[in-house]
Amino acid sequence: MDVPPRRTHLLPRTRDGRIAVVAFLALFVLAMPPVTHQVLNRVEPWIAGLPFIFVILLALYSALIGVLIWTYRRGV
Amino acid sequence: MEPWVVATGLIFVYLLVTVVLGVVANRQLSVDMEDFLLYGRRAGFVVLYLTVVASFHSAFAFLGSGGFFYTHGVGFWAAGTWTVLVGAITYVLGTRIWALGKAFGYITPADMLADFYESEPVRIAVAIVSVVFTILYIQVQAQGLGYIINVASDGRISVELGTLILLVVAGAYLVMGGLRAVYWTDVLQGVWMYLAVWIGALVLSYELFGGPFELLRQVAADRPDLLTLPGPNGFFTPGMWIGMTITLSFGIVFQPHLMIRYYSAIDGRTLKLLGATTPIYLMTLYIPTALVGLGGALVMPGLEVPDRIFPELLFAYASPWLTGMILAGATAAAMSTLDSILHANMTVLTRDVYQRFVAPDRTQQHYIGVGRMIVGGLLVVGYLMSVRSYDFLVVLVTLSGAGALQLMPAILGVCFPGGRTLTGAGVVAGIGTGLLALYVTLVVVPHPLGMHGAIWSLLVNAAVAVNVSAVTEPPSAATIERVHGEVERFVYGAE
Repeated sequence: MDVPPRRTHLLPRTRDGRIAVVAFLALFVLAMPPVTHQVLNRVEPWIAGLPFIFVILLALYSALIGVLIWTYRRGV
Repeated sequence: MEPWVVATGLIFVYLLVTVVLGVVANRQLSVDMEDFLLYGRRAGFVVLYLTVVASFHSAFAFLGSGGFFYTHGVGFWAAGTWTVLVGAITYVLGTRIWALGKAFGYITPADMLADFYESEPVRIAVAIVSVVFTILYIQVQAQGLGYIINVASDGRISVELGTLILLVVAGAYLVMGGLRAVYWTDVLQGVWMYLAVWIGALVLSYELFGGPFELLRQVAADRPDLLTLPGPNGFFTPGMWIGMTITLSFGIVFQPHLMIRYYSAIDGRTLKLLGATTPIYLMTLYIPTALVGLGGALVMPGLEVPDRIFPELLFAYASPWLTGMILAGATAAAMSTLDSILHANMTVLTRDVYQRFVAPDRTQQHYIGVGRMIVGGLLVVGYLMSVRSYDFLVVLVTLSGAGALQLMPAILGVCFPGGRTLTGAGVVAGIGTGLLALYVTLVVVPHPLGMHGAIWSLLVNAAVAVNVSAVTEPPSAATIERVHGEVERFVYGAE
């Protein structure tokens, strides 16, 4: 029995799927080196009473969770 | 009332509640392996949510993460990356694992991989990785539990006796109620540990600094090195940040106790909601531990064992009732991971070893009975490992976090159709060389070129698996079509 050619699952097939993957990866890259160590690596300015690196990473993590929730609500 | 009486009393009240839950779970148990081992594949959102977060966060998250912030500073806030990634992995991969488990009756990780790759050596390799690299957690959690009860009782209950009491309680409710008891106690534990760590951190920060914001201002003034990367000791290099992100997300998700949770979900949509929302709990738990660790570095510098910073601060500055409540929360954190790993190891040994190779055609009741006896054996092994010192255990603990990561190429091969299929021989060769590379890059030459050893081992594993697969026999076309066809139907509907 031959295995029929199957479309890859590594690339999303729907518009919402593509938006979710691109948004998640873009935000995730911002929370990883070298951005963390070169751009975010400072205490000043303080934002809402918190050190810069802490609050920006918190915002990025929250945005990533937001992408996951948006993906769920869109039924992807 | 003396502080140690209150603290110890609250822990024992908590233990009593878990045993009662085990008894109640036992009354609902039917003579069915899927019921005993997988909650009958009926776990709903709330139960699944709290058991996943409670199992993911062990005594390390409760005590060790404070110690990490204390020693290495804000770099441990990288925790947000792996906790969010765990959610995404659950959303994308966990749902596929659930769908295959439901369709083909898988109970363990080895069930799925051995079926797809049509290979008993794959089953054996996966079962070994599943047990060896998680049984160490029994020791780690048991030691944490013994330490907690020793601290709470102000040294009146020895670490050894404390370990024994808590192991017996966890084993008792697991034997009585199976995974149902584990899940129900995890619900209690998940809520308790979250409230405990937040309340404790906030009370301490107000007590010592006038609030969390003032605490951070004080850290910036006195120890600015704790608020920048790579931290005072240069630990959080870019390579370490990336390595910890991969290891503590994929490496933990692929451990059997978390994969079994995927199988036990009532439906795929519940798992998707779980993936989208668990990072909220997982990530925000590290905010209070950051306050504890960073504040503790100012108030109690030079602690010999930094992981003790939270209880040390509590005993010095908090009321006995609060200290007791929080130490019970720490007990919950350790027990929720311990019971999950005990259950997972019991499941793997019963299903992948006993049922497969020792006694294939027995009744469901027989296997449940054997599973209960295996729990007894695991408790003895866990106790001995936690009260004695073995040199090889030090090495295994070093490797344990990244051990399950070696299953990644094989699992991706099953769950993501398209491209070249790995073979059973490729998977076994990849796991073997990956573990060897892990030993070299974590023990012999730790983290070469500043990159976490887990990443090196994963690269070696993948390269070997792909190359060996290129020259060995792939799974049959019928099996590939059956499994990948199921994934296709689940993700994109009818073909």
